[in-house]
Amino acid sequence: MGKKRKHSERGEVVAQPKMEEVAPERPARTLLGWKDKNQCNNEVDDNDNVDSPFFRNKEKVLVTCSRRINYRYRHLMLNLVSLLPHSKKDNKVESKETKGATLNELVELKNCSSCLFFECRKQKDLYLWMAKCPNGPSVKFLVSAVHTMEELKLTGNHLRGSRPILTFSQNFEKDAHWKLLKEMLLQIFETPKDHRKAKPFHDHVFVFSIVDDHIWFRNYQISVHHNESDKLPRGGLDKMTLIEVGPRFCLNPIKIFGGSFGGPTLYENPFYVSPNQIRALEKKKKSGKFAKKVKAKTRRKMHEMNNPLEPDEFADMWKD
Amino acid sequence: MSMPLINDDTMIEDETEDLSEEMSSSESEQEEDVRLTEPSKTAVYNRDALLDKLGDLSWPENVEWIHKLSVDIDQEQEVDVNDDLARELAFYTQALEGTRHAFEKLQSMGLPFLRPSDYYAEMVKTDGHMEKVKGRLLAEKRKMEEAEERRKAREAKRLSKEIQAQKLKERAKQKKDDIESVKKWRKQRQQSGFADSGSNDADMGFSFEDGKVFERSNKKRPGVSPGDRSGGKAKQAFGKGKKQKKREGRNSKFGFGGKKGMKKQNTADTTNDFSKFNKGAAAGNKKRKR
Repeated sequence: MGKKRKHSERGEVVAQPKMEEVAPERPARTLLGWKDKNQCNNEVDDNDNVDSPFFRNKEKVLVTCSRRINYRYRHLMLNLVSLLPHSKKDNKVESKETKGATLNELVELKNCSSCLFFECRKQKDLYLWMAKCPNGPSVKFLVSAVHTMEELKLTGNHLRGSRPILTFSQNFEKDAHWKLLKEMLLQIFETPKDHRKAKPFHDHVFVFSIVDDHIWFRNYQISVHHNESDKLPRGGLDKMTLIEVGPRFCLNPIKIFGGSFGGPTLYENPFYVSPNQIRALEKKKKSGKFAKKVKAKTRRKMHEMNNPLEPDEFADMWKD
Repeated sequence: MSMPLINDDTMIEDETEDLSEEMSSSESEQEEDVRLTEPSKTAVYNRDALLDKLGDLSWPENVEWIHKLSVDIDQEQEVDVNDDLARELAFYTQALEGTRHAFEKLQSMGLPFLRPSDYYAEMVKTDGHMEKVKGRLLAEKRKMEEAEERRKAREAKRLSKEIQAQKLKERAKQKKDDIESVKKWRKQRQQSGFADSGSNDADMGFSFEDGKVFERSNKKRPGVSPGDRSGGKAKQAFGKGKKQKKREGRNSKFGFGGKKGMKKQNTADTTNDFSKFNKGAAAGNKKRKR
């Protein structure tokens, strides 16, 4: 009974945005009242022409995961939440609900502009959805080589909420999809300037590097010996060392979609093989053992039937 | 809620324990992902749409760098993925270069970017966790030191054994040489027909001529019976007949210094020593028996 009712409610919720879309567009709101249409258009043009003197990054990232996620991957997610002060963590999402619509709705409800969605399948494969929210694009990655921050080998530590320095390897400029990915990574992983949770110093650095067509992520603490806050001693930059903080992971892009959590496919990794296929292949390799044995046996039998042994003339020699 | 979390933590700790040991190996194992040898023909690649999206998405061109804080670093050469060390080094150098660039830029802008030493705030990893990290580092260090010590001890032992063996060898050789030389000498002497026997004989009364060459008697005082209190003087004194010497002998036996309580013990010397027996009395006994 209860389920049914819920369902109907959900239906309504889904229906609502459509209604809004149908309604005539209201002029954008400003501090002093409604903008009239003309001005609004100008504003939009401004944004396009890149003349706006004022730029404010209001990125907010929703971080969630699917249900039945592995503890390791969950820790990875929590690590990311702790690294991104402009993120909001939400409850796990039911696996069946991972269709785009519900997630989009969720992101909208949380007032976020992008989303990191960790999808765990079969308790072993982690997929990461990275989406810019109302109108795309979105990327699906396969995540591998995961190391969380809890691992004791990673000995660095840094301020929670200090803005990271992002470093990208040059090969992000290589191709259109890498460029797009770079822009998305930049927007999602960079903490907005003057974010209220951000701290005013820079003591860690993110590395995004493309090696072997995978994006590798590393996070290092910057440790510089210095006396004053804003002055580096002579040669301080040379003496600077980095200590890894973690987490580590490696992203293999699978697909890029035009919309958020859906839409037309813009890019498909031509080399991608899903881990399921890999496992199936391995199983197949192992599986033929018994069948092979049986086959060999029958073959041998056939061979013996076809070429019978000649009777041994000396067989009775010693029998008397 | 807290309980399962704790459980998880311990689990992850266990995980990390063995992970840390085979971090590199496991990593490369994980990365061993199968990929198609040649790109699939059906793969979509809509370059125009991608660029279009990029245009939609990206921030305006003239956004100040401080908003982005991003640095592009040129990788000099292709990195081999399966070589863990080289790969990590490449990432590290990339990060280092990047921070250098970024810090120079920040410095030229005159913005504070280094955390003052008195600025305390919440860190990404908790103090408890950092304590653990520190403990692990210390433990590792200790382990290494212990291993080093053990190694050194082993080395020293080996060395000392070698030295000991060499010493033994040397000693054996010395002994052999000595015996050899003595034999030679004897032969020579025999050949020359004991030419110079008379005078030298006393000197040549080598103790090792009777076979047991270097056998040391294990007594502390050779030639002194255990009960002897005068250190062997008694033997010289006994049986010489003179009164005073007899007195000395008695003293050595019954009083005046030395260890007590040992005089009742027999040794080979004392049992073979018949000097104190009265011959006459022994004869008398025999007679009585008969």
